[in-house]
Amino acid sequence: MDRDTLRRLGMLNQLSLTDVQKEEIIAFFDERESEAKAELDVIDTSDVERMVHVMPVFTVVREDVASQPFTREALQAGAPETDEGYWCVPRVLE
Amino acid sequence: MKYETVIGLEVHVELATNSKIFCSCSAHSYGAQPNEHVCPACCGMPGMLPVVNKRVVDYGIKAGLMLGCDINRTTTFDKKSYYYPDLPAAYQTTQWFAPVAVNGLVEIETSKGKKGIRIKQIHMEEDAGKLVHDIREDTTHVDFNRTSVPLIEIVSQPDLSSAEEVEAYLERLKTLLRYARVAECEMAHGTMRCDVNLSVRPVGSNKLGVRTEMKNMNSIEAIKRAIEYETARHIDAVENGTEVLVQETRRWDDIKGKSYAMRTKETAGDYRYFPDPNVMPVVIDEAWFESMKNSLPEFPEVKRARYMQEYGLSEYDAEQLTKSIALCECFEGASAVCGSPKDATNWILSEIMNLLNLRQMTYDMLTVNGKSLGELILLVSNGKVGRANAKKVLSAMFDNPELSPEKYAEENGLIISNDTGLIDKVVKEIVASDPKSVADYKGGKEKALMALFGRCMKTLKGNCDPQVLRKILIDYIAKV
Repeated sequence: MDRDTLRRLGMLNQLSLTDVQKEEIIAFFDERESEAKAELDVIDTSDVERMVHVMPVFTVVREDVASQPFTREALQAGAPETDEGYWCVPRVLE
Repeated sequence: MKYETVIGLEVHVELATNSKIFCSCSAHSYGAQPNEHVCPACCGMPGMLPVVNKRVVDYGIKAGLMLGCDINRTTTFDKKSYYYPDLPAAYQTTQWFAPVAVNGLVEIETSKGKKGIRIKQIHMEEDAGKLVHDIREDTTHVDFNRTSVPLIEIVSQPDLSSAEEVEAYLERLKTLLRYARVAECEMAHGTMRCDVNLSVRPVGSNKLGVRTEMKNMNSIEAIKRAIEYETARHIDAVENGTEVLVQETRRWDDIKGKSYAMRTKETAGDYRYFPDPNVMPVVIDEAWFESMKNSLPEFPEVKRARYMQEYGLSEYDAEQLTKSIALCECFEGASAVCGSPKDATNWILSEIMNLLNLRQMTYDMLTVNGKSLGELILLVSNGKVGRANAKKVLSAMFDNPELSPEKYAEENGLIISNDTGLIDKVVKEIVASDPKSVADYKGGKEKALMALFGRCMKTLKGNCDPQVLRKILIDYIAKV
């Protein structure tokens, strides 16, 4: 954990941290990290495949065939505002 | 101090599939009405689940193999969150943790020689929709036709160091992806777009400078101009302190020739990537992987060498033909039918190239099939259709790839006539109408004969064996 990572995490989580708190947090994670690293370093993971999902599941795929089962009108029926086939949203300033 | 430019590219390529990446809506929105190709899934309506299009994964694997990558045999999709009206679900389904292809290498060639550009990864993802700002002043109009159209993003390492190298790299990507038939890669059509990450550093330094990104560049010329401008701006800032460089996204204004700050650059944390719980991992088993490997085309260099050895083509001709897989297919098909690789080459590199230029078409837009071209070449070499009329047939073949050259020539009176009576009649008329040329020819001016010959051929609309006409003409002049 470095200061920049902590600053960003704080910003993303809307946290206001004092300098003392930041030092404590960094020291806390540094200690845990070195402990964890020491434990992990003794394990040989060279033959272990990366886990991509907690369950042995995989997706099904579909063939590349185009179809159009929905109409624009049906999809836009609940829209607050449409115009000439477009959805309308509050103006986005570029 | 001398500086070097450090450039990494993120290239988005639209895959040439029929349907979108996670739903069955058509992936082709060109010419469509707004929101014509949409459904609850690509509109981000609650509860709709994505179903992966197999061909997208096929093309991701093929692109990875073409660019020398390792393929992740279990590849996963992740959510990238950002809030903007062109993204109805408020997240983009993309790949972050296990992209389909990693660690590739693309070799480019510039005036300075050959160089390898490392590919960090290729990931599959969905495109965003399109916003229209100029219909009304008070709203932004949203079109979701492009939403969920499949893309691959090819991320290079920062191995490029000049506009020339960037151009060579992009051209190489285009060639390889078009060879594999996975994408059109036409920047003018928006099927290839490029983000340029650039920084400068003193020559010899290993430390990267402050990086800026220019997004969605869509022409190679604009990219080259932007790189030159940004390089100069960065060096000026570093050397003379004209401004403080910050990591940010910039917009390139090609008309003004300047870049402008858009926003401070996001980092991965801002997007809150996390595994998409709606799409399970895609497992590429051995059979699938092998079938993709076996479907790869011959690489351009290998094809070029084979053309020289097998067909006896010159290096120049082989180089020209192998610029495009469409030209190669036309050449191989035509050679097989007409039996003359040299004739096939000449027709492609002269007449077909001319027509492509006239119609402002790229090589890969060629629809003339090799078999038909071979049949046309045979009609000419067998003396059934004159060269000038054969060009007319070829032009018609551009409009209708299914057209039979012989049938078209017959239906349009382009077959050479063996009617010597008709030729005699035309020769008599032309000779009688131009006594001066006749006298000039008899006086030793060979050009005068060519003038008479041309007029006869024109009157016969080219439907005449040139050798037969020439003999009849010379014999007749000798008698008058």
